[in-house]
Amino acid sequence: MRRGMAKAIPVLGLLAGAAAAVLLFAGTDPPQDRTITVFARQYAYEPSVIRANRGDTLHVKLVSLDVTHGFYLEGHDVDAAVLPQQAKILVRRPSQGDAETEQDEIVVRTDRPGKYRYRCSHTCGALHPFMAGELIVAPNHLLHAGIGASAGLLLGFAAFVSRRPRAKPEASREA
Amino acid sequence: MKLDVVEAHARPAARAPASVRDWPGVDLLRRVPGLRALLRWRPLQFWLMWFNLAVFAVFLYAGLFGSPVGSRNIIIVFVWILWWFLLIALLVPLLSRFWCTMCPLPSAGEWLQRLRFIGVREGAGPGRQRTRMFGMNLEWPKPLRNIWLQNAGFLCLACCSALLVTRPVVSTVVLGGMIVLAVALSLVFRQRAFCMYLCPVSGFLSLYAMSAATAVRVRDAELCRRHMEKECLFGSREGYGCPWYQYVGTMTRNNYCGMCFECLKTCPHDNVTVYLRPMFSDTHLKGVDEAFKAFIMTVLALAYSVTLLGPWGTVKDWANGPESGQWGHFALYSAGIVVICLGVFPGLHLLASWVGRRIAGMEASLRDVFVRYAYAWVPVGLFAWIAFSVPLIAVNGAYILSSLSDPLGRGWDLAGTAGVAWHPIVPDRVAYVQVPLLLAGLWFALRTTWSLAQRLYPDARRAISSVLPTWTLATGVTAVFVFFFVG
Repeated sequence: MRRGMAKAIPVLGLLAGAAAAVLLFAGTDPPQDRTITVFARQYAYEPSVIRANRGDTLHVKLVSLDVTHGFYLEGHDVDAAVLPQQAKILVRRPSQGDAETEQDEIVVRTDRPGKYRYRCSHTCGALHPFMAGELIVAPNHLLHAGIGASAGLLLGFAAFVSRRPRAKPEASREA
Repeated sequence: MKLDVVEAHARPAARAPASVRDWPGVDLLRRVPGLRALLRWRPLQFWLMWFNLAVFAVFLYAGLFGSPVGSRNIIIVFVWILWWFLLIALLVPLLSRFWCTMCPLPSAGEWLQRLRFIGVREGAGPGRQRTRMFGMNLEWPKPLRNIWLQNAGFLCLACCSALLVTRPVVSTVVLGGMIVLAVALSLVFRQRAFCMYLCPVSGFLSLYAMSAATAVRVRDAELCRRHMEKECLFGSREGYGCPWYQYVGTMTRNNYCGMCFECLKTCPHDNVTVYLRPMFSDTHLKGVDEAFKAFIMTVLALAYSVTLLGPWGTVKDWANGPESGQWGHFALYSAGIVVICLGVFPGLHLLASWVGRRIAGMEASLRDVFVRYAYAWVPVGLFAWIAFSVPLIAVNGAYILSSLSDPLGRGWDLAGTAGVAWHPIVPDRVAYVQVPLLLAGLWFALRTTWSLAQRLYPDARRAISSVLPTWTLATGVTAVFVFFFVG
């Protein structure tokens, strides 16, 4: 194999690893409707992680256990606010400006797989910027591709260097 | 000649390229018009430091008298979101320790030592007495000429990170305290003892400066060897001897070069320059203290990702123990970080080194294999830190604009941007940047440690055998980072 082509082995390993992992974990359960109550407190949500499948419809009810909290869901154009011990929540669509509507729940369709954080969008205390939860929509292709690519890169690089018996002894390199 | 006195501070086994022909870099001072004149211009460092000190004074004031809410106080927003991102993602990988050129923390101490803001206080004696310094000018104790104190300091700050990066007053106390300490040490020990041996920021800069695409080096090391005056070490009327105790004539690593450019000013042969070079050109860790810095930084990138970016409320509660009065949990959290940084992770690396050495052959000492292959954690750690910092700026970047207009959080609107609402910038796409960054870190780790393995074992198969366990561990750690960021 030419040297130029051999250099591509680690890259091929990376791509092959990513592709293999994505294909291996491509399956997912059929879509369903689910209702989830999310409790917000300083500085965490409960549940902290919501797992869903692609195509699910989530009806999210929001309850604050202490102060006013927000619920900004990345990638879904949702920003809500909930006051302490109140069932109603104020929901707005950031893409449509500041107009808020009072609702009982937030409806989220999980059309795109991946990880989306929901964050507090109302300053609630010292650790407010780090108050977040996670919506994980299966199949999480990026996770599988990332881990597969890491393993593929290792194997590809090992294969690449193992076909180069050239020695570089310490003395001759540093003399 | 008192060369031995000064070089005693430098790490052993430093070798320089024989000549510029051996150096695979671009001589920036010859390529970029005006750069040489700018870097030799004595007021440059003063003005950079002075500007940063003035800005820093505002930050410290804001920390004490501004809003206690971190996201509405400029010290938190500018230091821990903007500065941190610029430092770790741009300054260090591109410009090495250029931050040290303008760092405000040691500025007051250095001006006090010199009794000058810009000029050189000439002396009449030989060697170090060519320039005069105010203060006791003691030598730093030999047993402490390493970065263990910096490692310990950074670990202490890391344990309190949830407080440090969210409470303005804590940031003021810590950063202000560092200025006071730097001034006090400048009166006792000579030159930049604080930066060299104590500053926690300097500790991680020294490690990751090895990755930088720029480096201060000599053009011709042989010329330096023959030139006996050593103005770069002892100073001259053009400038001071290296405040960082480094001898640029034999310097082959960025670790302890604070980029003050005094050597560039004092060299009578115009033999010092700044090179543009491939990233991760410095690949030698030269002690267990440096290896542990690499472990600590890698573990802390993971710990911060879990504590600050993760969804786990219990971990946040424990890290935030002092606010909620859960001191026991806070102690447990801190102890956990320390044990993983100093015990578990180094233990895993030691195991990988031991297995590799067993498979490949026993010629190289375990210590040598352990320290050399610890370099794997430099690229893995650096890119993990960058990946960690990207969401910080993407999600909280809006606070930069609002706090610019209202630095104290008092309802001002100085630049008309106080009303900018918090709005993350494509937060759901950040993961597509993080994963390639982590893979880049792994790639550099594989490549650099392979180069190190070849130097240790002449036979390629044995070289691979020796480094394969470390590669496997690095791949596993990268996968763990991928899991935390996108899983």
